[in-house]
Amino acid sequence: MRRLFLPVGITVLAIALGMMFFGVSEGATKSGNPAPVRLTADPGPTSAASLASGEELFAENCSTCHGAEAKGSALAPNLQGLGSATVDLWVSTGLMPLSVPTAEPVRKPDKFTNQQTLELANWVQSLTPGVGVAIPTVDLKGANVAVGFDMFAANCAPCHTITGAGDALSGGLEALPLHGVTATNVAEAIETGPGNMPRMYPGALTKTEANDVVAYVTEDIEHPSSPGGLGLGGVGPVAEGFVGLFLGVGACMLIALWIGERTEREDPEQAHDELEPTHV
Amino acid sequence: MSDHSSNGTPVPTDAPQFEVAARNPLRAEKMTAALFLLSVASFAGFGAAYWQNGSNFWLGGTLGFGMSFFGAGFVAWGKYLMPRGPFEEPRAMMETTPEEQKALIDDFASRGKVAVKRRGFIVGVMALAGGIFSIVALFPLLRSLGPLPKNAFYTTPWRKDAYLTQSDGRRVAVSDVPIGSFVTVFPQNDVGGALSQTILIHVQDGAIITKPGRETWGPDGYVAYSKVCTHSGCPVGLYEQLTGLLLCPCHQSMFLVAKGAEPIFGPAPRPLPQLPLYVDDSGYLRAQTGYDEPIGPGFWERGGTL
Repeated sequence: MRRLFLPVGITVLAIALGMMFFGVSEGATKSGNPAPVRLTADPGPTSAASLASGEELFAENCSTCHGAEAKGSALAPNLQGLGSATVDLWVSTGLMPLSVPTAEPVRKPDKFTNQQTLELANWVQSLTPGVGVAIPTVDLKGANVAVGFDMFAANCAPCHTITGAGDALSGGLEALPLHGVTATNVAEAIETGPGNMPRMYPGALTKTEANDVVAYVTEDIEHPSSPGGLGLGGVGPVAEGFVGLFLGVGACMLIALWIGERTEREDPEQAHDELEPTHV
Repeated sequence: MSDHSSNGTPVPTDAPQFEVAARNPLRAEKMTAALFLLSVASFAGFGAAYWQNGSNFWLGGTLGFGMSFFGAGFVAWGKYLMPRGPFEEPRAMMETTPEEQKALIDDFASRGKVAVKRRGFIVGVMALAGGIFSIVALFPLLRSLGPLPKNAFYTTPWRKDAYLTQSDGRRVAVSDVPIGSFVTVFPQNDVGGALSQTILIHVQDGAIITKPGRETWGPDGYVAYSKVCTHSGCPVGLYEQLTGLLLCPCHQSMFLVAKGAEPIFGPAPRPLPQLPLYVDDSGYLRAQTGYDEPIGPGFWERGGTL
């Protein structure tokens, strides 16, 4: 059964190398993901022209459901008074606009440029000046990532899971994955409480603690170290157990098969003769 | 492995058993050499990774591959490049004969009676020692079961007038938590305590369907429930503000916050116990009393639904 040697060896090697490769490439894409900090200090789109542009974008993309004045309709909630942070969060994470009005919001690439998103957000904010949550300024210098982890574990991980992979909630709802969001997005979610998520600041977190959480999410959740190579999506023991049992034990069985298999150049008649028990 | 045939004479070195197992020995040799070369490369890589302060990923990867190829080389060598055999070595039979068995029995029966005499007193004392040891050995076993729980199942550190305190030590005032938000709170003398953990939720005042006898328990739309699930004691920390549901992450029990945290789905048998609150003169939220029922999963003495 010599011919088993090559397939078995190749399989074992492929599994091992595959895990290494996926581990490396996953790490590479994760660390290559930019998490830009969007600063409100950038005065850009508050001019009359940019507000007009924001109004136009809103009329084209949002007014069907939210109404021309963003006051909401039977299809969608009132946006007036929420502030620019909510608009920026939902649009820049791709949750809005929906592909069809009845669809569930899902994460997808931002439909607009950074500038357009800010114009939209600032136009909605301009309807109710000073009301609602403005896009927060994020400054992670001096943030305490350790405190951020503690606060994340206590307040965010119950729904988003400790790796930030997100998880199912009740009735088909989902706590969204935190991978691929900006630091500003994290701060906006903490301060506005989008959808079913409760507002965490003010309340459960102080402003400093909220900033620590943003730092933890930006530094660790967005860039998991995955010391074992393959992170497997960080979804927990089911995926990890599957790989351990199916691939790990499977590889061990293939190796054992190869080691224990009889070599092929045995003459059948002679082997049979020599295996007869003999006594002196 | 002995190089003797079954009749005890040495196998001639040109016998078929001495041929290597591989059909194509040259190819097998190349393959074995290749495995050892891969091992050499991996071990060298380990050295380089170590020298370069490489990550655990590279250290473990190169070392693991090196050892794997090293072992695979030996297995290949043994499987394909060693004499294929089989060789046999004769040995003597090990069964005892009927005569030997009978002799042993006779010997034991005759001489044993002489050697071991009846000594009643010693047998008694020996039994006493063994018996006492068996009883005393039970002591640590029983002690290892731990102290009786007494009333620990029935009470928590929550007492009358306790401040609702967050994990970072902040006391919660009535203006602190926006509507739709929640905070995990503890009594000020047991911050972080597993039995004390309580979830304080601010819902729209008037949205609460108050249970009889709990009319004053939820001031200004604040309700507080034990965070320990009544099913198996997991922390019920998933709050959906739009649906007003508290979810348990372990077995997906759902509790209706506005209606006394009644379970509406999942294995939880009872509502989460509610902590009666009041707002003091300085605007701080405090407990009227401790919980009025045991928190967490059921137990025998509790009665009712476990």
